[in-house]
Amino acid sequence: MGAFTRTLAHRSAVVSSRPVSLVLPMAGALLLAALLFPICWMLAASLMPESRLFESRPLLPTAVTFEHYRALFDERDFLVPIRNSLLVSGLTTLVAVPVAALCAYALARLRMRGKGLVLACVLAISMFPQISIVPPLYLILRELRLLNTYPGLVLPYLTFSMPLGVWLLTGFFRQLPKDLEEAAMLDGATRMRALRDVVLPLAAPGIASTAILTFLYCWNEFLFALSFTLGPDRYTVPVAITLFRGRYQVPWGQVLAATVVATIPVALLVLACQRRIVAGLTVGATKG
Amino acid sequence: MNHGTASIERAETRLAWLLVAPALAVIVLVSLVPIAVTGWDALHVHDLRLPWLGRPFIGAGNFVEAVNDPRFRAALLHTVAFALISVPLELVLGLGLAVMLHSATRGRAFVRVSALLPWAIPTVVAALLWRFMFDAQTGILAASFRTLGVVGPAFDWFVHPLAAWLPIIAADVWKTTPFVAILLLAGLQTIDPVLGEAAQIDGAGPVRRFFTITVPLLAPALVVAAAFRMLDALRLFDLAYVVTGGGPGSATEPVSLYAFITLMQRLRFGYGSALSITVFLLTFAFALVWVRLLGRSLTGARS
Amino acid sequence: MPRLIAHATGAALGLLILSGHTLACSSQEATTRLTFSGSALGPEADVVQRQLARFAERHPEVRVELQVTPDSADQRHQLFVQWLNAHAATPDVLQLDVIWIAEFAAAGWILPLDGFESGIDDFLPASVATARWRGALYAIPWFVDVGMLYWRTDLLDRAPRSLIELRQDALRVREAKSARLGLVWQGARYEGLITVFLEHLAAFGGGILDDRGRVIVDDPAAIRALTFMANAVNVDRVVPSSALTWQEEQVRFAFQNGEAAFMRNWPYAWALLQDESRSRVARRFAVAPFPAGEGGQPAAALGGAQLAINTRSAHPMLAAELVAFLTAPDQMIERARLTAQLPPRRSLYDNAELVAALPMPLEQVRPILEAAVPRPATPVYSELSEVLQVWIHRALTGQEPPAVALQQAAREMRAVLVRAGLSTEGPTR
Repeated sequence: MGAFTRTLAHRSAVVSSRPVSLVLPMAGALLLAALLFPICWMLAASLMPESRLFESRPLLPTAVTFEHYRALFDERDFLVPIRNSLLVSGLTTLVAVPVAALCAYALARLRMRGKGLVLACVLAISMFPQISIVPPLYLILRELRLLNTYPGLVLPYLTFSMPLGVWLLTGFFRQLPKDLEEAAMLDGATRMRALRDVVLPLAAPGIASTAILTFLYCWNEFLFALSFTLGPDRYTVPVAITLFRGRYQVPWGQVLAATVVATIPVALLVLACQRRIVAGLTVGATKG
Repeated sequence: MNHGTASIERAETRLAWLLVAPALAVIVLVSLVPIAVTGWDALHVHDLRLPWLGRPFIGAGNFVEAVNDPRFRAALLHTVAFALISVPLELVLGLGLAVMLHSATRGRAFVRVSALLPWAIPTVVAALLWRFMFDAQTGILAASFRTLGVVGPAFDWFVHPLAAWLPIIAADVWKTTPFVAILLLAGLQTIDPVLGEAAQIDGAGPVRRFFTITVPLLAPALVVAAAFRMLDALRLFDLAYVVTGGGPGSATEPVSLYAFITLMQRLRFGYGSALSITVFLLTFAFALVWVRLLGRSLTGARS
Repeated sequence: MPRLIAHATGAALGLLILSGHTLACSSQEATTRLTFSGSALGPEADVVQRQLARFAERHPEVRVELQVTPDSADQRHQLFVQWLNAHAATPDVLQLDVIWIAEFAAAGWILPLDGFESGIDDFLPASVATARWRGALYAIPWFVDVGMLYWRTDLLDRAPRSLIELRQDALRVREAKSARLGLVWQGARYEGLITVFLEHLAAFGGGILDDRGRVIVDDPAAIRALTFMANAVNVDRVVPSSALTWQEEQVRFAFQNGEAAFMRNWPYAWALLQDESRSRVARRFAVAPFPAGEGGQPAAALGGAQLAINTRSAHPMLAAELVAFLTAPDQMIERARLTAQLPPRRSLYDNAELVAALPMPLEQVRPILEAAVPRPATPVYSELSEVLQVWIHRALTGQEPPAVALQQAAREMRAVLVRAGLSTEGPTR
């Protein structure tokens, strides 16, 4: 058989499998629809008037109303939890990422004993169930009078953001070309200079990914925020939404509006940085 | 020459430890020390609402109480069962989504964004969403199930001890399938397409190719994904708290939620610490097993 | 026991010393900051702000602040416990749910209010009973909530006089399709469920703790009560199973939309049900006490709030004045008019101003108030309640038979009391 015949056989094999190749896109489309539907429904329902929501047969919205959004910001002052979430997530990211970066650089590029042990430790700690450290953290924060304060949340958030940062950044630094610093240092620069001028610019995308992921994890965090904040003035967004109650009930309209508002920054981040996010997640998984 | 290299190495090691120290210090302070304190507190009576009891040392008393506590045993069962049901579901669906992402030629960005959104939104938002959709009065899914005749007209998902798990599992699977898909996608992208083509020429259909080539080569990524998901599933809290609150009765209460109720609502810090430590030991034991498996499969794949 | 007496004495001595100290210093204080913390939902916020401002007017050297707390009572409870356990000096005055008073008193977090003993007889005895711990008075009743049976006057001739009649009426109405649901009550797994259960308990002559403080939820009367509730949901289906996820507002909606013949709810619902723009049952309902079953009494679960003073407050005398002001008859009438919350002062019920201020007719309210049944006043009430909530909910959702559920609940509740050193069980149990 010549190359030509082999190619023919290949083509016919491809042709005969075409019906199967339709199944995949269709199943995929179904899966995508299942993923997107709840979000679309959340948006639609948040625009439905209260009375419509409580009717026994919820249908597509015929009337669109912004009453829930208005109530959210007028009556409930939803800006406060948003501000709290932004501050806490931002502060944690600002603290955790640089410190983790230094550590990760050392673990990835420098020679030292006990590297494996440190990494294993970091990984193990990231597996701690959060509930296990709530009691002592609560008592410590109380003694330090840090309950219901911003530092009082940033500190517990470091328990997961630090290991996450070290883990991810070690992976990113490892991906950089091996002899990068050597080249710079041969030219007479110190290691720290090399780090600053040569390594960091190249590692910038990885650092950005880590920062984004850290921010996301902090924004979404629930248990610590629930345990260490004491009042509506310091609730973060997830806690504020969950604790939305009238005296006796869950006001679905406002809750849904709040969930939409809580999702918007996240959605924007995902839209803008989806490549970064994927890069971060995959380096975390495929690193050995 | 040797002497020079050795001192450079020492300097490098010193620098390395200097750089590692801050992160390590933070991690030790905020994670390791609290765990130790939890362990210590678990050996005492410590009830915030009963200050007249003091804080006497009772050794393993709290753990004995936990073992004899039917609600705790049930919570353990709930947690493990939940993990064993939702994780395989996520792996299967995630694999499907990954294959789709991999073979998509157009609209890659759209697909990726759609896949990432459920993962990125806060867990409590997802929980509220699914609770809303299953709500007997206002839920679109509840209404659809009623219309389709799957359940009776007066059926309320949150009143039935087993049915109440469905919204929780659905929310978890919905939220983390994209995460699994992305993990597996990276693995898929490293598979050499030549292997697939060779098998195709040999007459293997796409399904056969998938199971004999793709899946085995994806094994390391699958193991990693399974490990991460299992660990997260054992720590289930947010979803249970928001979707059902642990109800009806305590039928959907995982271990973390029971520990939380004991600690922050009943304010029994001694007993609650014992429960928390047990959760920790459970996940730690599991993590040990998986890290072993992980290490073995990764080194195996490399060779 | 001796420890608690020591605690109480210590607290009383503390108050004496502090009051002496404050009297000595009050002439030199510039602006004193007094903090008040309580619920501020809807019309409550308005009334509280007004009354605090009025107090500040009369005391120019005092600035009164409202400390914000979460909406739900459970959250507020958690918050107060965390603050007080951390020895916070503020808030000075706290609004406590009736079921928290014994807990806070036993822990030494609130001051005994001996100065108020002289005027206490004007208040409802049941309310005052919940404010006492080991004989001493620790809080002043502020407003009263009682569980009421709302019934549809267009579907029924008169309020049911017994539980059997209630059941029959509900079945009849459902059969005739005049209303889709018979009876609705709060069946979610939370404190409200206990108030519903309490009314059923009293209707059969049972209780949660007896007057010696022993657990009696596994007595035959209690089992009959829970069986009645479970049958209402699962056998007769006069109560919809969805009610097992409902709190007060969902119950109200069901009645307000004309779907139920009977509703068990609090007084706040009256004004909302009379609003013709939203309610389909305006002017077609009335209230009555929850009727009695065999061997029991008509009952209304007692709720409401009371005011207490933080032990660590820097201004206990001033705080006491604020408490006296807020619980004065004028303030109570204003509150009744704006929030429809019932005042706990007995003399006010003969007052024409109150009669005019209250949205509901007094002759319907009086028998309900007289049937008020308090929940047990014990420091571990929250934990006992949580245990009971879980087991009752299990029985109602068909996971356990009522007898088994109550026996297990009783066992756990006794363990809680033993652990807290509060058990009064004899060795025979």
